[in-house]
Amino acid sequence: MSSGGMCGGVANACYVYPGAPATPGIVTPDISFSRGIYMDGSITMDDGKVITIWGFTDLAVNNGMARPFPSPTIRVTEGQIVHTSLAVPGDMWVHTIHHHGIEPAWQNDGVGHISWDVQGTYIYQWRPQHAGTYFYHCHTNTVLHAEMGMYGALIVDPVPDPNDPPGTKRVFAGGPAYDVEAVWACDEIASSWHTLCWDAGTCGGDAGLNRLEADYFIITGVDGAKSALTDPRVAVNMSLGQTLLVRYIAAGYYPQRITFGGLTATVVASDGRPLPNPVSMTSIHAVAAERYDCIFTPTATGVYDVTVEFLDWVTGNTLGTARTRITVS
Amino acid sequence: MERRKFLKIGSAGIAGALVAGSGLITWSKRAHAATINKTFYITDGTLVQPDGVGVYFRGFSDAANGLNVPGAALIVQQGDTVNITVVNTLSTTHSFVIDGVVDSGPIAGGTQAVVSFSAETPGTYAYYDSQNPPYNRLLGLHGGLAVMPSGSTNTLYAGSPTFVKQYFWVFNDIDPVWHNALAGGANPTTPFFPRYFTINGLSSRPPGAPGNGDPSVDANADPRSLLVGSIGDRSLVRMINMSLCTHSMHVHANHMEWLTLNGAIRSDIWKKDILPLYGNMGRVDAIYPFEAPPDAYPPVTTGNYPMHLHDEMTQTAGGGLYLFGTMTEIHFV
Repeated sequence: MSSGGMCGGVANACYVYPGAPATPGIVTPDISFSRGIYMDGSITMDDGKVITIWGFTDLAVNNGMARPFPSPTIRVTEGQIVHTSLAVPGDMWVHTIHHHGIEPAWQNDGVGHISWDVQGTYIYQWRPQHAGTYFYHCHTNTVLHAEMGMYGALIVDPVPDPNDPPGTKRVFAGGPAYDVEAVWACDEIASSWHTLCWDAGTCGGDAGLNRLEADYFIITGVDGAKSALTDPRVAVNMSLGQTLLVRYIAAGYYPQRITFGGLTATVVASDGRPLPNPVSMTSIHAVAAERYDCIFTPTATGVYDVTVEFLDWVTGNTLGTARTRITVS
Repeated sequence: MERRKFLKIGSAGIAGALVAGSGLITWSKRAHAATINKTFYITDGTLVQPDGVGVYFRGFSDAANGLNVPGAALIVQQGDTVNITVVNTLSTTHSFVIDGVVDSGPIAGGTQAVVSFSAETPGTYAYYDSQNPPYNRLLGLHGGLAVMPSGSTNTLYAGSPTFVKQYFWVFNDIDPVWHNALAGGANPTTPFFPRYFTINGLSSRPPGAPGNGDPSVDANADPRSLLVGSIGDRSLVRMINMSLCTHSMHVHANHMEWLTLNGAIRSDIWKKDILPLYGNMGRVDAIYPFEAPPDAYPPVTTGNYPMHLHDEMTQTAGGGLYLFGTMTEIHFV
């Protein structure tokens, strides 16, 4: 594996704010997650190119040896007191976790210049009040660190309804139930950025971070050129009569348009909030970091190819596409 | 002209978003329509960007010897007669346009024109120079206009959710190659690659940076942009994107109530932490509710949070300098 991201130390970076104080008002959590850092991961594209990826490890599994991309999902239930512990060893410089769409105290919001960039271990404490689809990402030199892959899904489930049969899954309390679930985090990769140092540009100079020259397009860490059509981490296989929930996360920077291959989505929530009235859509135009919760109840068997177009932010022209598939049998 | 000088002039435009500063254009409940007069001077100059590079701009300025980018935010009331005198101090031809409302036509260099219109439909509008499109607009000849519903101080449109404060967030992105070509009288010949990203004409300065906390330099501290409120201080934000780039606006600590898109009232009000700002004068009106951050434990009612664009290239200046882009803050006090 390549080891991009090493380069100089924190003392040579600018406008980072190292720290790891005690969490204010810390209590025993209902659920906790333990995240570390990797900066030597990689993704192999369909054309054979290997691109360096950074991300968060799960320190509770095999001491965090795996390098998953996207980073491991954080899944909690509405009302739980959550701890997300972030451990950043000295050789991984500084990072944060911002739980995007979650709205905690400022100390737990993971914005480096307002609180601190974690050096050591900090425990983010929060209690989600709204079920829905979120994501988490690093908020240190974000333009680079999020592009490098430092993000993962964050899902808040509703408290189970005691009137539902056991095992019933709903998008939110009183919302639609679903049988099959997919998380599609759609992202563009500019491979030219993936050799930069962790602190690229922070002290000034032109690191090219205003120009994202995307050359690969992925869905949930899988190349959308071909692999995502069949990779079980992304592609959906379901039976007629089942209900599918797609949690669509616009995880890149450019605008996107996702088209559902002839299926119609019933969009029931966005950005972790139910819509007052669901909306039927055959495609969705999204901008960076939007989330849409899409319910599908196909009425015929078939193979439906889903296309995500990544759009130039000036011209609106399609820069590239990623595809996956819903197979209804 | 240095940015500091320009900003001392610019800060007279709208203070705290409560009352526009000219004394002629005010946001106060009136039973009767009024006649509003305002003079803009089309001027030019150089503004220093966060990496120290000076870039050429033009603006609708409050004084013949100033440079305001964007122009002062105007707040009028439905039914008002608005008379805008535009004095073109430059040698180039310009105009003053509000789409669907008024168009001055070309105003030759060294001349002036008066445009008059009746404020009819409540809402948020862009005023801009439509000559040599889109270049004059991108150079800074733009600003925001609000038409308040007749007799209302707290609604966007009749029956809208209410607010207690209002702000304009006017976004623009700067490709210095384009600006400097235009300064020399030539239209750009290269693709648009912005290197600086602004809200109400300013970029962010993080803690420790020169200018941090200076409202004339730091977008985080600019009272036109910075949202300050206590719990319940619902704040309307009128967003206008003057750039060519489509953007993603992200607020921390609260979701916003999304009222309009490109001037159209949305049939349902969605609560969003991201809102789309389409290029070429995309508009969004949304209310930041200043509710207690819902996911805090223990609960909190105070704290500082950011607003920033989430197409993160916008968070840079000159190709680096993360934290020196389009960002401001939200203070719960």
